[in-house]
Order: sequence, then structure tokens, then C-alpha cells
Amino acid sequence: MKVTFKIWRQENAKTKGDFKSYEVYDLTKDMSFLEALDHLNELLVERDEKTIAFEYDCREGICGQCCLFINGRAHGPHSNMTTCQLHMRSFKDGETIVVEPWRATAFPVIKDLVIDRSSLDRIIEQGGYINAKTGTAPEANAILISKSIADKAMDAAACIGCGACVATCKNSSAALFTSAKINHLNSLPQGHQEASTRVLKMARQMELEGFGSCTFTGACEVECPEHISIINIAEMNVRRLKAKWFE
Amino acid sequence: MFFKKSIIALTGLFLCIFLIVHLSANCILLLPKDIARDLYNSYSTTLRESLFIKIIAYVLYLSILLHVVYALLITLRNRKAKSQHYSINNFRENSSWASQNMGLLGVIILLFILVHLANFWARIKLGIGENIGLDANGHVNVYEVTYGLFQNIYFVMFYTVLMIPLGLHLNHGLKSAFMTLGFYHKKGLRILAKTSLIYATIMTVGFGIIPFILFFK
Repeated sequence: MKVTFKIWRQENAKTKGDFKSYEVYDLTKDMSFLEALDHLNELLVERDEKTIAFEYDCREGICGQCCLFINGRAHGPHSNMTTCQLHMRSFKDGETIVVEPWRATAFPVIKDLVIDRSSLDRIIEQGGYINAKTGTAPEANAILISKSIADKAMDAAACIGCGACVATCKNSSAALFTSAKINHLNSLPQGHQEASTRVLKMARQMELEGFGSCTFTGACEVECPEHISIINIAEMNVRRLKAKWFE
Repeated sequence: MFFKKSIIALTGLFLCIFLIVHLSANCILLLPKDIARDLYNSYSTTLRESLFIKIIAYVLYLSILLHVVYALLITLRNRKAKSQHYSINNFRENSSWASQNMGLLGVIILLFILVHLANFWARIKLGIGENIGLDANGHVNVYEVTYGLFQNIYFVMFYTVLMIPLGLHLNHGLKSAFMTLGFYHKKGLRILAKTSLIYATIMTVGFGIIPFILFFK
């Protein structure tokens, strides 16, 4: 199949970027989207042009490294999916595919389609962990946790930190990411000790990093590869109110 | 930022309650002309003379002011958080148009409120424009002001059409205000979404149809 890639090219954070079009002819429908970009890069090497920088790691949909805004959607046209799980069969023959880096003030462009997501790491540094020394793996039933709470914590813990929520949000809010990290630990007994400082510090860092505020458009939960529910944000808000006024 | 968001939510909820009272009072206008005039005028006189309503009125002005100012500040900050816009953004595939354009809807509603205040508040409270007479019971004839205004088809259209952005704003605003304030019960949120839709529909249709009925009365 033949497609035209319209790709954002930017040398570094300081220079101005622009779109550049590339026609690629010999693609197959069963190629993954990232393989198609690999193929384009091979062609660029042969032509002695600069290759396109884009991020990936596992290519299994679990690491959260790939991050492309494709044809107006974070991670491409399908909902709840990572970029690496997207295949060329999702596009029509002869289609023009627009690829942009994720846009947010807190995610500056490093090069081409690669962005700096360390702002999310700095939110984690403010309390996305427990302080207690855990030693070796404890006996599974030493701390009893009900199934419903374990499930809820696990659903929140599933966040891979890809940043699709920020990318798709019109306010570039990191509320879905931060709430998932807070609710994961705060629902479990191990996280109770630092529950209120965790929510206050992590939410504060989210604002310091320049992320916007949540207006509940619901776009984030549609794009989240891990199906993290927007309800987490409401739960973070009540935890925040409680921590601020009652503890 | 979180404090401001909470204030926007709280004032928004207060305004939602206000609208219920407002619409209930408007329903008096649907009664036969003579009864409607007596009831509506005595109702508005009671409101003007009540100290409780005076306090509520100031809370109302303050709510609108805080809602608008804080929404403006939050919107400006949110815009700064998006360094650059996408060349293509198919946001309609993951969210509703109204949820993405609450600010625009808010501005339209604010413009409506200004016209609405000029039509009624300025005339009745400030005494600007034509002199308003008294009715048979000696009450200020607010009914005539209302009835008179809606004999003009352009005002009827204005008051009806602008209830659509109000409905869109209310539908998204009501449910997200609850979520901003931390309501996270899963089943409760599903009921809330339906309640918001029903509430917004009643407000839009209710406020929108009364001017039409008065026009043909």
C-alpha cells in the first residue's frame, strides 16, 4: 500500500518545527505503524537524509514509551490503544497520515516526535511510592485486602505513564495520570501512612509543572491505553479536599 | 487552581438551584392573563420587599461574578498549558462538543444575562426607560414589562435560541461540578449524567418556550 506521511520535523527544543511530507509506496497492511516509520527511516538513510526521531521500547503495548498524535487522535484512530499496537490496516491505501508530537507546555519537544515527559516523573517523585522498608516479598496473605479494593488499586496501577491523557486534553491536564498514581497507593493499607501528604504533594507538583486543570471532557479515558476511568479524578479531588481541610 | 475550580463548581451548583426557582416563577406567566398578572406582580413585590431575598440576591451577584472571573483565570492558565495546538484534532471522537467549549458557551450566556438584566433589572430596579405603572392591587406591573417585551418577535427569538447554549452548558456543568467536588460513586455518576441531561432539557425547553407562549397569548 501507498501512504503519504506528513510528519512534524523539529531539530531541537529551541528551533521552530514544521511539517514535511514523505511518500512511502511499499508498505503492507499487516505492518505495525512503527514498522512503517522504521521503513520510512530506512528509505531516508538510503537517501542520505536525517532520520525521523520517535520513541518506543517494548512494542507490546505495555511500556508507555511510544507517543504519537496520529490523524488528530492520541495513539491513532482507535480508542484505548498504544501507538505500537496500531497497524497499517487501520488506514486506507493512498491516505495522508499526519503525525505530530504530543503538545503540552509540560512536554517540550526534544527532537521531531520525541518529547520530554520527565514532568510526570517529578510528580511521582513527590509521593508515588511508599516509604516503608518492604524487605523481601512478604507472605501473600499477611495483609488482608478485600477483592474489590485490590481490583480498584490494580486498575489504577495499570497506568503506564504514556501521557496520552495529557496529549488529548484540551487543557493538557495530567489529572488522570496523577489521580491513578494517588488512588493506586492510597486505596491500599501500605499507602495509608502517607496518604494525605502524597495527595497534596503530588497534586501540587502537577500544577507546578504547568499542566492545566481538569474540566471533565472525558477525552483522556477514551485515549488511555489502560482504560483508566475518569472517576479516578473525582476520587483524587475528594482525597485532596479531605487532606487539605480535615487532616 | 484547585480552590478556584471548587469555587466555580460551588457557584455553578448554586446558580443551578437558582434557575429552578426562576423557572418555577416563570410558570406563573402561563396562567390565564388576569390571574397571571395578579400573581406575578404580587410575587415580584414580595421578592423585592423580602430581606432574605435581598441577601440571596447579593449571593447570586457574587456567585455569577466569582464563576465568571475564576473561569476566566482558569481558562487563561489552561491555554498556557497547551503550548501549541494540533494541526488536526478530532476531539469529537473522544468527547462532546459542549464539554470542549464551556468557555465559549459561558461567554454567550453572559451576554444573554447582560441583555436580560437590561430588559428587566435595569427597568424595574433602576427605573431606566419608560415608566412602569401599577396594577389594580397597587403592585408594580412587572407582568406588563414581561408581556410587552415578548410581543416583539426578535426578543422572543433571542430568549428562545439562547437557551440552547444554556442547556449545553448546564448538561456538562452540573455533572462535572459534582466530580470536581469529589463525587466518585460509580453508579451515582451514571444517575447524575442522566439527571444532568434531564435538568438541562427542562431548563432549555422551559425557559425557551414561555416567551413563545406569551407571544401568541
